[in-house]
Amino acid sequence: MTDFRPVLFVVGVLLCALGIAMLVPAAVDVAYDDEDWIVFVYSAAATTFVGGSLVLSMRGADRMQLGLREAFLLTVSSWTLVSLFAAIPFLYSNLGLTLADSVFEAVSGITTTGATVLTGLDTMHRGILIWRSILHWIGGIGIVVMAIALLPLLQVGGMQLFRADSSDRSEKLFPRLQQVATAVVGVYAGLTVACAIALWMAGMSLFDAVNHAMSTVSTGGFSTKDASIGFFNSATMEMIIVVFMLLGGITFPLHVRALRRGPGVYLGDEQTRGFLALIALATLAVASWMVLIKEIPAAEALRHGLFNVASIVTTTGFASTDYLLWGTFPIVLFYFLTFVGGCTGSTSGAIKIFRFQVLYAVAHQQLMRLLAPHRVTIARFQDKEIDVATAISVLGFFFFYAFTFALLALALSLFGLDAITALSGAATAIGNVGPGLGTIIGPAGNFATLPDGAKWLLSAGMLLGRLEFVTAVVRLTRAFWRE
Amino acid sequence: MLDVRPIFFVIGILLVTLAAAMGVPALADLVAGQSDWRVFAGSAAACLFIGVGLILTMRTEEMRIGIRQAFLLTAVSWVVTALFSALPFALADLNLSYTDAVFEAMSGITTTGATVITGLEKAPPGILIWRAILQWLGGIGIIVMAVSILPLLRVGGMQLFRMESSEKGEKALPRVAQVVTVIGLIYAGLTLACALGYWAAGMRGFDAVAHAMTTVATGGFSTADASIGYFDSAAVEWVAVVFMLAGSMPFVLYIQAVRGNPMPLMRDAQVRTFLVIVVACIVLLVVWKVATGRADVGSAIRLATFNLVSVITGTGFATSDFSLWGEFAVTMFFFAMFIGGCAGSTTCGLKIFRLQVLYASTVAQAGKLLQPHGVFVPHFNRKPIPESVSESVLSFFFLYVISFGALAVGLGILGLDFVTAVSGAASAIANVGPGLGNIIGPAGTYAPLPDTAKWLLAFGMLLGRLELFTVLILFTPAFWRN
Repeated sequence: MTDFRPVLFVVGVLLCALGIAMLVPAAVDVAYDDEDWIVFVYSAAATTFVGGSLVLSMRGADRMQLGLREAFLLTVSSWTLVSLFAAIPFLYSNLGLTLADSVFEAVSGITTTGATVLTGLDTMHRGILIWRSILHWIGGIGIVVMAIALLPLLQVGGMQLFRADSSDRSEKLFPRLQQVATAVVGVYAGLTVACAIALWMAGMSLFDAVNHAMSTVSTGGFSTKDASIGFFNSATMEMIIVVFMLLGGITFPLHVRALRRGPGVYLGDEQTRGFLALIALATLAVASWMVLIKEIPAAEALRHGLFNVASIVTTTGFASTDYLLWGTFPIVLFYFLTFVGGCTGSTSGAIKIFRFQVLYAVAHQQLMRLLAPHRVTIARFQDKEIDVATAISVLGFFFFYAFTFALLALALSLFGLDAITALSGAATAIGNVGPGLGTIIGPAGNFATLPDGAKWLLSAGMLLGRLEFVTAVVRLTRAFWRE
Repeated sequence: MLDVRPIFFVIGILLVTLAAAMGVPALADLVAGQSDWRVFAGSAAACLFIGVGLILTMRTEEMRIGIRQAFLLTAVSWVVTALFSALPFALADLNLSYTDAVFEAMSGITTTGATVITGLEKAPPGILIWRAILQWLGGIGIIVMAVSILPLLRVGGMQLFRMESSEKGEKALPRVAQVVTVIGLIYAGLTLACALGYWAAGMRGFDAVAHAMTTVATGGFSTADASIGYFDSAAVEWVAVVFMLAGSMPFVLYIQAVRGNPMPLMRDAQVRTFLVIVVACIVLLVVWKVATGRADVGSAIRLATFNLVSVITGTGFATSDFSLWGEFAVTMFFFAMFIGGCAGSTTCGLKIFRLQVLYASTVAQAGKLLQPHGVFVPHFNRKPIPESVSESVLSFFFLYVISFGALAVGLGILGLDFVTAVSGAASAIANVGPGLGNIIGPAGTYAPLPDTAKWLLAFGMLLGRLELFTVLILFTPAFWRN
């Protein structure tokens, strides 16, 4: 039997936290003398009231054991409900947004996608702007903590994830799960502060620096400007953001370990190596194309190439320029990079690097088996053998991902989206990237003009992309780190 | 060391066959009084000379073919056949470059149907029948390969079809050679029936034969620039639909049907799923066309059935420019390209049985997710799927998507726009023919593409036709190591 009480209890706690978070934009609005502050206070009151009632009525449930089914239910319901409540300030602010728009914006925020329906960001109330950044920030830490917290429920003991990719297997970094979560949150907050300070020193206003820091480390992609990072037109800022996007795209427990053992651990991690190699390779390819075909100076080509490649691969979705004007190759390349994503246990979305590494190893093993059917061939990831169950679950995830993408694209085209918009919109939503391709939803465009039905579908796609990731971690971890 | 002599010996035999096949267009041109017959006679002589030379020099005492030789033979034989069958295209007065000629030949032999030739209506009959013959040979070639070689090589889950016959004990026919002969006869019979059908529907005898060859082979070359749309006849289209579907069935099952037992064909899970998918897609398209006011129900059914069947079976005929049917239709046709028909047919693409295995494996995975200690075994055709088969089918899917992505990025580098690059890659690898967009769409041709893009696309066609693994394995260092 599924027991709903512990699920509702946790959701209640999350809603209370969300309600409290709404007081930040209220305070910002008050400080800047905007009448919108009242919207945030009302929204906070409503959210906290619902959350508080759930907590009180389900009291005692916090000591109950969460089963597997409850864990899944909790995952889905918490992300959905938090998104819906987070949409309230958008709906009642004086932006004149419809329900579909508000939910889309909130889901895009909380899933760290960064696709937006708002225009005129440069002159918008600061409460709304900071609220969007806060949603990214909460969503980012939410996904990282959840990846860590779900493991013990699956009898994995939590520590194996960190032990598995550590060279020293006997050493326990932290005795208890809560400490890991705390350390990760600490790293996350530390990175955000560092990013904000760096951006501020590079010349951003304090408000812009804080906002962009939150949406950079969470690999979200909301900006306070319609022209995104391109507005600032500063190479320094772009490089700062590249660094923090990359940090946000790397496994967070790895950061914790790096703090104790030095940065060598990054190079010892197969997934991080693959991630950085991919970005370097794609940047070089795009930059060479720009130099050779578009005759852009090498320095500028490298700068824009790196920024936009890093932004897509980490699924952030900032744009420093409209890369659709770069010609055919970058467009096709960026389209396929939308599916890749960063490392597991990070804030990035999409398929993730380690899955590609596992898939490659398995496919290679298959080829070798064809040659020598009776020889034992072993596929390895991070020096460990990939057993058949793990291989099948990663392969199955890949198929499921492709299948979901195709269905979503088909459904979007039913609402009259042209092929490029439908195909890239579906990819960007499931991968939690942000901008798509084409004139409508490309980096220079906006999701505002899409029909309501398409917005609901895209919102569902963003949530699915985010949650699929969790369920897939569940799958993988159980098979991978079975006792 | 890899003994390549048996490989060249078999290729010699293939070239001799090809030379014999070139006699047909030579004869056709001679009858029509076209000077092009010399081109075919010359090409045939060249093929015959090299073929006989290979047969005589490469004969060995022991004609054993190991696994490596089998892989190499498969890939090399298709490439060599394509290169030699390109000779008439390059030498005829069509003004084709050798690149164009190889593209056309590869498109023919892989039953793709993408073309660089315009003005087909005025082309000499020899060239037209040569294109049809290439597809016809390619079609029977791939069935023979799928029945005899691929299951042994265990490519992408094809071992399912080996187990099927050995496990049951009741073997359809005792020896592979006999199976192949019977399938060849069935293939020829279907082609004959199709030609008669076209002829009865009002086509000229020549057009009927040429189209019958490309229909049963699910190829898609036509004798008119406007493809089947040129004839503008509902009867012709329905004949085409029936025989395109017939070409997409597992040919092995026809053997029992011919012997008076159609049950295995009717009850086959793959056949049923294929038909269900086809009907479902047609219904969706008809509803879309009618609901958006693009056509009345009658013409919507006719257009949707013909064009969808043509794309999903990888044939590539067209009666209308489906890129103009609106957003949903375009996206639908794009994804339909990937599907393909049944295994052991003339179609390409992912193939229905793979989708079934993928689906069953994923559902079993989801079950395990909720009940880690439960036992979930995926089934195909009422039999459990071994984990090794799941793994190899899933890997096939991964490699398919990666190959598609790499091909599309490659085409992007060569300057093709997004829609042309992505749909061209999908169409080539699935051996469909037309892509989307106004360059390579159903109303366009591949002629304006840069030469390098044509080579890349020709490689994509070969890759898709030979089920990826067979070609990719040649690029692994381990293959060439001792």
